[in-house]
Amino acid sequence: MDFYKKWFWPLLLPSILLFGFVILFPFVVGVLNSFLAWRGTYYFDPETGIRATNLFASFIGFDNYANAFTDERFIRALVYTVQYTLVAVVVVNLVGLGLALLVTRARRGAGLFRTVFFLPNMLGGLALGFIWQFIFQIVFTDILFSPEGLMHIPFLRYMTQDSTKALFALVILNAWQYSGYMMIIYIAGLNNISRDYYEAASIDGATPLRTFRSITVPMLMPSFTVVFFLTLSNSFKLLDQNIALTDGEFNTRLLAMQILRTVKDTAPPDYGKAQAQAVIFFILVASITLTQVYVTKKRELEL
Amino acid sequence: MAVKPRESVALRGDTNYFLKKRIGYVATYVVLGIIALYTVAPLWFLVTNSLKGQAEIIRDPLGVPRAASFQYIIKATQEIHFFRSLGITFSITFVSVGLIVIISSIGAWMLVRNHTKWSQVIFMAFVAAMLIPFQAIMYPLIQFFDTLGLKNVTGLVFMYGGFGLSMSVFLYHGFVKGVPKGIEEAGIIDGCNIFQLFFTIVLPLLSSITVTVIVLNSMWIWNDYLLPFLVIGNSTTKTLVLELYFARILAGQFGNPWELIFPAVLITIIPIVIIFLFLQKYIVQGITDGAIKS
Repeated sequence: MDFYKKWFWPLLLPSILLFGFVILFPFVVGVLNSFLAWRGTYYFDPETGIRATNLFASFIGFDNYANAFTDERFIRALVYTVQYTLVAVVVVNLVGLGLALLVTRARRGAGLFRTVFFLPNMLGGLALGFIWQFIFQIVFTDILFSPEGLMHIPFLRYMTQDSTKALFALVILNAWQYSGYMMIIYIAGLNNISRDYYEAASIDGATPLRTFRSITVPMLMPSFTVVFFLTLSNSFKLLDQNIALTDGEFNTRLLAMQILRTVKDTAPPDYGKAQAQAVIFFILVASITLTQVYVTKKRELEL
Repeated sequence: MAVKPRESVALRGDTNYFLKKRIGYVATYVVLGIIALYTVAPLWFLVTNSLKGQAEIIRDPLGVPRAASFQYIIKATQEIHFFRSLGITFSITFVSVGLIVIISSIGAWMLVRNHTKWSQVIFMAFVAAMLIPFQAIMYPLIQFFDTLGLKNVTGLVFMYGGFGLSMSVFLYHGFVKGVPKGIEEAGIIDGCNIFQLFFTIVLPLLSSITVTVIVLNSMWIWNDYLLPFLVIGNSTTKTLVLELYFARILAGQFGNPWELIFPAVLITIIPIVIIFLFLQKYIVQGITDGAIKS
């Protein structure tokens, strides 16, 4: 209709401008810069050893990428992030689903439990990280799991001072924080399943486990898609909790922190290398989340 | 006595059905209670330890404060310039989210009402941009805004506007399709101009998704650490999260000053906890809608 047509560009202009300035332009520049000897405030010319007079003189091909892949810290952060993501996605999903099943079973007080479980989500990762740092360093180490404590479990002591233990410390923290969010999504999914299916199963004499496997799980597939997407991308991009808990000490850097700290590791700050890592990060995040959405969507359709 | 069909069937095979059900019900509450305690425990430590001195925190972190004192909280309030940083955080969140809501809703509306090749290309660009992680953009973005003279709070608001846009346009796009065009046409015939049409007819019909957009964007903008860190850094216009971070860094050079950290964390989270308790219903609704409808 003509009425809308003449307003299309004027009303869309703010979105396009904002999008162009904040996302599109920096993204394109970022990809280009990953092929240049970018030093942040200027471009370096590797041949003359001083500032490049034009961008072509600063072009170094895939050197930044080669640098990134030969950097032990980057590789370690990459492996660590993948390991963390695998554990976190499984744990947060299981806990979230478990909470949802429990809360939907409770008739009275369900609202209260939901509020309590969801509350940690509202708080910032940094603030929560500081509290949990205290819990791991003092409460776990000196009180609960010390030789004189409740139960002597060496693995749960000094969790922020060892790369393997810190990975699980991060999982504990994030399961505590995000499970409530996933629970909300699962509850919505569970409430969408018609009671009739359960009644039919009950009449057929199905065991609770069988009912869960053959009715609940397939009917929850749409929720699984959303929750997997959220947990995958959240875990992959985790930063605040990582900074608050260990600040990357003891080889506990995740990729997001590695990209942030690369410019501090190098002197003068090597923004080109950091940017190359960021582009690799982008490719990883985009391909993983796309694959995941594709696979779970496909399963949704099959079921 | 009328027995529900489900239970009567079960009764035939299992006489202990009701007893089992009862036990299962009690067990559910026991497990829920334990997990709830576990969830609340860190927050309990936070509150109690904010009232203790350093020595008592280390010696007896789990106990009730022996001589509770508000001096640590008052000190932390000064340390992180609480009222100033609260005001800054609130303003940034409020203006950014307002910007996102208005720009993305009106943009999505136009995208749906004009079905052309351009509208599809633009919409696809917004959707594709959701895959770009912040890290891929941050360095060129900061550099670019610095040259524009916008490496400050004003620039920060625009950056949040840009980052929140993709998802919000996507969410609004799905909902505008559900607004009957007939209503709008009636408005046009009655002589509404485009803005009257949008703000008095269309936007009110989108209020449920507006709640989602507000909730999702406010939650991350309020708690965001990285973007303010890169843009504002250690200047006088720090947000709450930044104040907390720098207080921790500064004091943490000589061990862990828990008597400062605990109260500082406590006062930074109190505003958001209060907001949550009041707006809980909308927040949960917003998240559920956002998750299901996207």
